[in-house]
Amino acid sequence: MSTLLEVSGVSVNFDGFKAINNLSIQIAEPEMRAVIGPNGAGKTTFMDIVTGKTKPDEGRVIWGEKSVSLLGMNESQIAQAGIGRKFQKPTVFEAQTVRENIVMALKNPRRPFDVLFKRGGNDAEDRVRAISDDIGLTGALDQTSGALSHGQKQWLEIGMLLAQDPRLLLVDEPAAGMSPAEREQTTDILVRAAKTRAVVVVEHDMEFVRRLNCKVTVLHQGSVLAEGSLDHVTKNKDVVDVYLGR
Amino acid sequence: MRHAFLALMILMGSVLAVSAQTLQPILQTHTDEIASPSRNSVSVALDDLVASGVPQVTDFLEQWVERNIWQRDDGVFYIAVEDGDELTLTDIDTGAQSMAPAAGFTQLRPNGGVRRVIGTALVQFQLLDPDLTRRETAVASIARRPEAGQLAPLLASIDGETDAALKARKVQLANFMSARFADSPADRIAAITSLSADTSVEARAVLNQILSTSSGVAERAPDGNIAMIHDPMLDPEASYGLLVEADLAPPRQTPSDIRTTLEANIDADTIAGFAVAEMNDPAKREAAYAALSDAGLAPLLITAPVRDAALSAHVFYDLYDEDDVEITAAASIALRSVETRVSTAQAVDLTLDALSLASIFFLAAIGLAITFGVMGVINMAHGEFIMMGAYTGFVVQQFIPNYTVSIIVALPLAFAVTFAAGVAMERLVIRHLYHRPLETLLATFGISIALQQLAKNIFGTQARPLTSPDWLAGAWVLNDVIQISYIRIAIFVLALIFLGLILYILKRTRLGLEVRAVTQNPGMASSMGINPDRINMMTFGLGSGIAGIAGVAIGLYAKVTSEMGSDYIVQSFMTVVVGGVGNVWGTLAGAAMIGFGQKGIEWLNPSNTLAAQTYMILFVILFIQFRPKGIVALKGRAAGD
Amino acid sequence: MQNTFIGKNPSVLWFLLGLSVFTVVVTLCSEALGADIISTSFLKTLGKTLCLCLVAIAMDVVWGYCGILSLGHFAFFGIGGYAIGMWLMYARTEDIVVASLQNATLPPTPDEVTTAIGSQIFGVVGSSDFPMIWALSHSLTLQLLAVVLVPGLLALVFGWLAFRSRVTGVYLSILTQAMTLALSLYFFQNDTGLRGNNGLSGLQNVPGLEAVSQATLSLWFFWGSAFALGAGYVLFAWIVSGKLGSVIRAIRDNEARVRFLGYHVESYKLFVFTVTAMVAGIAGALYYPQAGIINPAEIAPIASIYLAVWVAIGGRGRLYGAVIGAAVVSLMSSWFTGGAAPDINLGFYVVQWTDWWLVLLGLTFVVVTLFFPKGIGGVFDLIAKRKGDTA
Repeated sequence: MSTLLEVSGVSVNFDGFKAINNLSIQIAEPEMRAVIGPNGAGKTTFMDIVTGKTKPDEGRVIWGEKSVSLLGMNESQIAQAGIGRKFQKPTVFEAQTVRENIVMALKNPRRPFDVLFKRGGNDAEDRVRAISDDIGLTGALDQTSGALSHGQKQWLEIGMLLAQDPRLLLVDEPAAGMSPAEREQTTDILVRAAKTRAVVVVEHDMEFVRRLNCKVTVLHQGSVLAEGSLDHVTKNKDVVDVYLGR
Repeated sequence: MRHAFLALMILMGSVLAVSAQTLQPILQTHTDEIASPSRNSVSVALDDLVASGVPQVTDFLEQWVERNIWQRDDGVFYIAVEDGDELTLTDIDTGAQSMAPAAGFTQLRPNGGVRRVIGTALVQFQLLDPDLTRRETAVASIARRPEAGQLAPLLASIDGETDAALKARKVQLANFMSARFADSPADRIAAITSLSADTSVEARAVLNQILSTSSGVAERAPDGNIAMIHDPMLDPEASYGLLVEADLAPPRQTPSDIRTTLEANIDADTIAGFAVAEMNDPAKREAAYAALSDAGLAPLLITAPVRDAALSAHVFYDLYDEDDVEITAAASIALRSVETRVSTAQAVDLTLDALSLASIFFLAAIGLAITFGVMGVINMAHGEFIMMGAYTGFVVQQFIPNYTVSIIVALPLAFAVTFAAGVAMERLVIRHLYHRPLETLLATFGISIALQQLAKNIFGTQARPLTSPDWLAGAWVLNDVIQISYIRIAIFVLALIFLGLILYILKRTRLGLEVRAVTQNPGMASSMGINPDRINMMTFGLGSGIAGIAGVAIGLYAKVTSEMGSDYIVQSFMTVVVGGVGNVWGTLAGAAMIGFGQKGIEWLNPSNTLAAQTYMILFVILFIQFRPKGIVALKGRAAGD
Repeated sequence: MQNTFIGKNPSVLWFLLGLSVFTVVVTLCSEALGADIISTSFLKTLGKTLCLCLVAIAMDVVWGYCGILSLGHFAFFGIGGYAIGMWLMYARTEDIVVASLQNATLPPTPDEVTTAIGSQIFGVVGSSDFPMIWALSHSLTLQLLAVVLVPGLLALVFGWLAFRSRVTGVYLSILTQAMTLALSLYFFQNDTGLRGNNGLSGLQNVPGLEAVSQATLSLWFFWGSAFALGAGYVLFAWIVSGKLGSVIRAIRDNEARVRFLGYHVESYKLFVFTVTAMVAGIAGALYYPQAGIINPAEIAPIASIYLAVWVAIGGRGRLYGAVIGAAVVSLMSSWFTGGAAPDINLGFYVVQWTDWWLVLLGLTFVVVTLFFPKGIGGVFDLIAKRKGDTA
């Protein structure tokens, strides 16, 4: 287990409001990590920083064995470097079929001419099939993804993440709006993924986090409040204060 | 007061004193010089007339110049008006009128040169004339065509001048004339130096006249006050042209001269031994011509070396018409100082121009900025609302002939008309397209096409005038360089009023509060009981109404046509985009930047306003690179993505 | 692969079939073959319409598929026209000048020829010097390259600047409109060296083909336009149906998400913007020899907006929709504004179509945007759906 992502001393200001304040987190590979915290704790902003959507005012974000800084890269470069992100709201391309969505995400050369002439995509069909099996959407491959149920869209998005074959998955509230059965299936997908890569899950639902059975980081007001197993952090007095507002 | 009274007394006294004298006897002593004057002989008579101090002299001289003096066969002079075969005679001294047949009289017809001499003499009388208008006419006529002889009478008339304004004018004119005509170089230099702070066109003309040069070419530089020696090699062709003009060199052959010469010397199929068929090669043509020239059949070919040799054997110079070196030096210094002042004044003038252009852009764009900023709606028909406002003004003027009243009526009416049109458009079209900005752009564009053609069908294709009231017609003249038309000042003021009004509405009223709430967070605003539909409707109406008023303002200084909207729409969009969306100050900054930018580019390349617009747009495209959200950008989360 | 491409895109086959039948029928009816059913001028109108259809599908790809509402593609069309027009005008004037100098006593020097051509071409703007911009006009090959490269390069530079700073949506539309305005103002200036508002004329005469009658020449151009449209249709169908099409549609729907998938969105937009601009240039180069004249008014922003109108009315996001829109609206426009449409007498007012067509078009456009966002092409969906229901 080696460190894959190192965020250290990062701060972000939005018009005087410190969304992230001297935040430091390390993620190893492979690892499953849950990030929890009350609203406005900076969970989403943390993801924005790692994926290049937001540029921090100070601090370092270091990636991989070669210790590359992610701060100088744009969104697509970061994604190509091996960081996949799933948004809170499922954002699949609803006008296109499930297959098209997955094919688009498959790890292949990403430049326009590569794509136009379909370079390096010979085993595409097999990989699409493997992923659709994984997320249970093989039967719906040629359906328009707009016609999927909410839970299926969430899985499709996770499937697209897996198709990217990233080393780090950032998953924002995957279980939101899912039925209990769907949640269980989602947990399985994530746990399986975490065997070979790093997975960071941001989640509100404690039951869901408990089922992930992993190390937990608690954020509060833009910095780390506590870290450790779920049982450990829930016994932490600060965490209890923050969550119950005492 | 006492001085004036005293002056009046003296004037009346002198009139009484001389009225007893008569002019006719003096005229009779110079009858030959007056009846058939030459430029030299007439001055003798004039000197006597002037010296006599008889008041009738002025009138006589004026009528003489006008060719209204007739001489009876016995030698007596009369002022006469021809009426068929009859003459209406006026006695020169008494003013008594009578009639007589024209047959016994001869008209005096002084030639142009004589008339000018008489005019000069006349001026000194006119300068002292009791009638202010006459004195003013006299001063103006001197200013039009200053002559050395007029300086002394002008100076003499200054002290007695009772009208303060005319006195100042006389002093100024005398100063201009001293600079050119004063006897002592020291006086001239003093006058010239005093001009260095005067930016008027007249003063600059005086200095330029003193510094007038004539250019020439000679084998060696002449003695005299040389302004400049030119290097002929800077433009050898033009310099050689001067040599040719001065008959100092033979003309250079043009390619067509060479061709004509060659054609004239065709001998069967050859020219001086060269085949005619080869003559499509310029080198061969030259060789053939050289051969002809060697044979004496053509003048020597002026090649570049020949030309350069001729050029280097001559001096190309500019010679001052003024011989005194010190005077030209003083004038150069004064002119340079004047030019510095003039360019400062020009910069001020340009700034004012840019300011008024910016106000127009602001007026045209602010309505757009409001609808764009608050609703995220691009209204391509905004330009047509401007046009609608202008046509409203035009229609109002058809019913109310008084221009002042009609403008006062037209402004609110234009607002009302375009407000209604805007509300109708929002209700019928835009409401159904929220969150589909590109579709809104296209739908409003469809409306714009329809409105434009509709206006064409109603009002025709020719431009319609929107006449401004007289009090807006002139220009505010600061000096000869800085002037700005009242209409532009009015537009500037209008823009200021609207800036204030819009800031007031947005910052101080309930409507403004609700508008800002909807801009920042429509969902939250509606959950707090603000009806976003109503707000959007009002906002759109307001934005459109302002476009209508802008239309009246623009119509006043430009023509009203069905296409006037499309002339402003792209600039308005640029203004909004450059300034930053959703912010009144941003629009102001954008308007200022585009107005000043365009004027600045026009100043760099004054011949070409099309180019100025082209470069301005390119500049805006580049500017967007560096500040994609405009000059005044909303920051942080409020800006969204 | 070709099999699967056609298999996946049956509309391409139908389109090519329709286009071929149309071409053959028009050819058989043309004056050139002795049948007087279609006049030469109407044949030219049809040929021009095909070119408009070509630029419309380019517009559809950039707007309907990639979501960039470009208000500049008709300017690229115009630039293509200017590029070929320069050669046509230069070469034809050269022919005339050389012929007229044939009988001169001395054979003309190259300089004399150039000056004579220059004064012929630029006499209207009071000049006889060749501006720099005409440096390549003597060469058909180079000007043909310019037809593609100049719009392509312009689109590349402009697109790079605009996309790089992430100007999107209506901002981008306005920026492209500004670019178009700048271009048309540039072409309007005499200093530019393209004869200012006179534009280029006499383009219907092709140098070297003086012996061919206009009837035959028009037919050739019609064939050329039909071929270009067919080829363009296949090219774009191939581009949009593959994975690249999938990516650009995804960019249209959610640009940020595509970025997080690791695609460099700007490159894709730039690719689409540039390729469509080049096709627009080709369409223009075929159009203007049939029109005979080009001037800067053709490039004005309004023309690009009409292009968007055609595509919207035809139905964007489907290539045949753009073709239908361009063909129907442009043919109707020339019918109504040409004075051929009968006036309607309302008793109290006579509706003259030359005056009222634009009003009708504008309002139609509003109605289409409001109620039929899929345009005429949407009707095909309804038919297909009904078929599916009955089957």
